[in-house]
Amino acid sequence: MSLIEIRDLSYSYNESKKAVDGISLNIEKGSYTTIIGHNGSGKSTLAKLIAGLLPIKQGEVIVNGLKMSEENLPEIRKELGIVFQNPDNQFIGSTVKDDIAFGLENKRVRSEDMEPIIEEYANKVGLSAFLDHEPQNLSGGQKQRVAIAGILAMHPNIIIFDEATSMLDPKGKKEIKKLMYDLADDEANEITIISITHDIEEVLQSDDCVVLNKGKLFMHDKPEKVFEDAEKLRQIDLDVPFIEQIREVFRKQHIKLKAHDMEGMVDELWRFASNH
Amino acid sequence: MAIRFKSLSYIYDKDMPYAHKALDNIDLEIKEGIITAIIGETGSGKSTLVEHLNALLLPSEGSLEILDYNLVANQKIKFLKPLRKDVGLVFQFSEYQLFEETVIKDVAFGPLNFGFSLEEAIARAKEALKLVKIDESLFETSPLELSGGQKRRVAIAGILACDPKIIVLDEPTAGLDPKGAKEIINLFVSLNRQSHKTIIIVSHDNEMVYNCCEETVVLSHGQIKYHGPTLDLFADEKILKEYDLLEPQIVTFKNLLAKKGIKVSKQARTIEMIAKEVAGQVKR
Repeated sequence: MSLIEIRDLSYSYNESKKAVDGISLNIEKGSYTTIIGHNGSGKSTLAKLIAGLLPIKQGEVIVNGLKMSEENLPEIRKELGIVFQNPDNQFIGSTVKDDIAFGLENKRVRSEDMEPIIEEYANKVGLSAFLDHEPQNLSGGQKQRVAIAGILAMHPNIIIFDEATSMLDPKGKKEIKKLMYDLADDEANEITIISITHDIEEVLQSDDCVVLNKGKLFMHDKPEKVFEDAEKLRQIDLDVPFIEQIREVFRKQHIKLKAHDMEGMVDELWRFASNH
Repeated sequence: MAIRFKSLSYIYDKDMPYAHKALDNIDLEIKEGIITAIIGETGSGKSTLVEHLNALLLPSEGSLEILDYNLVANQKIKFLKPLRKDVGLVFQFSEYQLFEETVIKDVAFGPLNFGFSLEEAIARAKEALKLVKIDESLFETSPLELSGGQKRRVAIAGILACDPKIIVLDEPTAGLDPKGAKEIINLFVSLNRQSHKTIIIVSHDNEMVYNCCEETVVLSHGQIKYHGPTLDLFADEKILKEYDLLEPQIVTFKNLLAKKGIKVSKQARTIEMIAKEVAGQVKR
């Protein structure tokens, strides 16, 4: 049994257009899945349906054996946490400590038991020295790390990242991606990660990639496979990895490059050049 | 004519215990008619710098000459409106500032505010919306119903409708998908090529900077660390390292080729240009 099973799922905000259109797919426990697609392809809607933030109207979402429904929602919510795009919209507490405590309070953890939990997770995201800091004194990347600490403190099985790095500067992006990769590699906790992203570098680090186009499932495969056909990706308005762009452009000059990284390609070109 | 910062400093919360010098004695001359990038890490003073260009911020010390205007520290200015018409500033996440009932009203707000007749303002709004590729069927809808990328383009149209001489963009593509980002950048490149608009872009996207911006300014801790041709900047590994600037992938590729003795000219800034040059040296 897969951790998340999606069966023939459709959703529309208005009658004229389906935002998600007949999607079926499984996501395995402990896997790191990226979801890509152009703006309006249905990525965020799909994530919201999985997270129970939108009601299921057609089809099924089954999380850890429980069918998503109003009745099961409280149980399913315990399984998952979401990190949103805008770091400024998810800071609830007045300090880092308060923010991490918020979820624990809802879970009715006794306040004397909170301190060590807060410290543990602040440490995990590298913010132990910032516990008394106020949000306005934190960078975007640090705010996102606080959000992640708050989620981890709730011991979720699944974390959904909804373009969690897209509003951050390069430094912040790097910080959060590193943290995501560490979580994905943490075999002891087996957290399942679903990340909606435009970041090709991140997609290449994931186990599986789901490609959406106009609400429909376009591909679900290993990232290398997904990026094999540059032309196909371009047709659905997606970016092509730089390395594939090089391959494509040189092919037009009748130079066939086979390597899978830039160094390898340059070696090939050098060999061609020294054959003169 | 150029845009001249003369010994300009800006201090947030001046005369307060937590005063913070965000710009420190800036001397800078930005050329008109080209695209200039302003880069540097978060907190380096990029936004503070560009917010002087249409007098959202006034210098604490020094002065700024822009077009026919002169902003001098501690001097009142009387030309705020014409300056803001001539220098259009597109904020970071500008879509948060849409406020009118309909798309067309929102875009017409600027020209109306600058004294154009309703008819003229609507005509300008329509033209600007066409430039940013917002379909006519959306003109009468609420801006709040649009997608993120569409909202951003409507916000940009609001600036274009005022027909500014200088356009300043603070991270215009942050948070957009790759296609949306490319469309916006292409729009400004063509505005520069066709109508020779002066364009100043604050950005973290060094790939775009390398590809589209003739000159680049590097800021760090409120000071100018580099100003000159973009191609020279990214050829200088030492500066890139010192100011923690991400090397564009295309530069990495060029450097690898150079190390293997495959010659590529400095001017090559796209894969296409590189491939053409390399093809001449390669036997297939």
